[in-house]
Amino acid sequence: MLGFGGEREAVSKVGLTAADLVAARLREPAALTRIYTAYAPALFRFFMASVSDRHLAEDLTGTTFVSAIEGLPKFRGPVEALGGWLFQIARHDLYDHRRKQSRSRIEPLDDNLTEAAASDATVDPEELAIDRLEGSRVMGALRELSPDQREVLLLRMAGGMTAPEVAAVLGKTTGAVKALQHRGLASLARVLGLRSPDEPQERPYPSPDPGRLTSQEEEER
Amino acid sequence: MHRPKPNKLHDELDALLDGRPVELTVELAPLVEAADSLRAELASYELDPGVADRHLERVLEGSGTVVQLPLRQPAGGWDVRRRVVAVALAAALVLAPATIASAAALPGQAMYPFKLAIEQVRIASVQWSPAREADERTRVAGKRLDEVESLVRLRMFNQLPNALKALEQAVVAAQVAVAEAAEDGAPVATVATRLTQVRADGGRVVEEVRKAAASGSIGLAGGTRDAVQAAVEDAQQDVLPPPGRETVPTAGTPTPTTAGSPPDPPVNPTPAPTPPSTAAPPPPTTTPPPTAPPTTTPPPTAPPTTEPPTSAPPETAEGQPNGGEQAGADGRDAVDEVPPTTVTAP
Repeated sequence: MLGFGGEREAVSKVGLTAADLVAARLREPAALTRIYTAYAPALFRFFMASVSDRHLAEDLTGTTFVSAIEGLPKFRGPVEALGGWLFQIARHDLYDHRRKQSRSRIEPLDDNLTEAAASDATVDPEELAIDRLEGSRVMGALRELSPDQREVLLLRMAGGMTAPEVAAVLGKTTGAVKALQHRGLASLARVLGLRSPDEPQERPYPSPDPGRLTSQEEEER
Repeated sequence: MHRPKPNKLHDELDALLDGRPVELTVELAPLVEAADSLRAELASYELDPGVADRHLERVLEGSGTVVQLPLRQPAGGWDVRRRVVAVALAAALVLAPATIASAAALPGQAMYPFKLAIEQVRIASVQWSPAREADERTRVAGKRLDEVESLVRLRMFNQLPNALKALEQAVVAAQVAVAEAAEDGAPVATVATRLTQVRADGGRVVEEVRKAAASGSIGLAGGTRDAVQAAVEDAQQDVLPPPGRETVPTAGTPTPTTAGSPPDPPVNPTPAPTPPSTAAPPPPTTTPPPTAPPTTTPPPTAPPTTEPPTSAPPETAEGQPNGGEQAGADGRDAVDEVPPTTVTAP
């Protein structure tokens, strides 16, 4: 009940209605602008956390929207499902990009510092560096997670989706998503030092899907 | 030590992440804190407004080129089709009752011009086929005859002059059409028979009108009587002779209606002609026979393949009809021994 309420809230939060979706299918500029304004920030955050490159994340965001608008007449779901559909396209574009590009990992700290210094010169560079360092620490911890855990957390936190919506995007059950979410946050908390060191790092439950064991789980096994 | 079931932990964590009221346990607190850190970190990633504008530009450009053309095209086409259907429906709603109402209109009545206009449209629509045009013009001639009869029956004598003239014109037009169709080899024998019948009936009606007008049995005002008599004489002279005096179209016979139109075609598809010995002599005519020589304008005749040959009476001197077609009282020609008069249609 509350989960579905969350779906309605997400739709109301972004201010989209079924009429907007119909108009967007007809390529009305106002409706397309509303959809972009509603979902572009979340998509950008998803890409930014995934590739750690602002320009690449911007390009992927734009590419995803162009693909989505071209494919919008094929989308027959309700407006509540539009966000999940957009993130499915985003995942596809991301995988496509990773498949095509074999590149070295970009150091996010350097980018963030340069970017912060260029964007706001009034901010103290030391504070900026600390902030970015802290940010990079969180993102570094995120990269320690398994791809499934990271993707679930990004869709939940960046995309603002509920567990059932994430499950629909990923093609998993809601229970599996909740389990991945739990394990991912537990790992993130451990890496960030949010758990006491003497707390045993144990898994109180078996993996719901043994075929999808993470490297960490495999190591634990 | 009691530990909650895994599914319960997952649900409680999920509820906490969604902001639902669930007790925050010590076990879940660090997880929620990690989630908050991640949220705060992700929230710091903001899309540059300039980049967003460029994205929107790309999206809207695509919408202009990809979408509007295919989507507006069918809408416009459908719109045009709907308009055509609406106009056709409106025209049908207006014209159908008007056509029905005007079918019985008589000269002088409000709907009569509409009736004539519909006839012209019908004729124009069949002019691609000489046979169909002949049929349609013959049908119109029959209508004119019905109108004359109706006017007499309804005692609308003031409309008789115009009605008689219209009848005469319609018969002449039908004769020309039948002659042309016959010349083209169209099968118009049936139409010619009908036209002959119309002419015979018309001659009878006109003769009755003439007698009534002459005897004063119908109360005609002076001007009306003169007009009726003049119209009767014109009609009987060439086109609608009284019974027993059906005329053979003569060379150079002027058509009263159409300038430059061919003379009265000899449509006379009477079946078996009677022997000349049984043919009755022509009754005295009220109008002199036409005297135009046949050389000026050869009288048209239907091709022998489709139309029975039109014959001139043997007594006719110099190959000229005597002004009164030799025909029996029953309408059959009595001139089968006379060589057919070959007349070409204009």
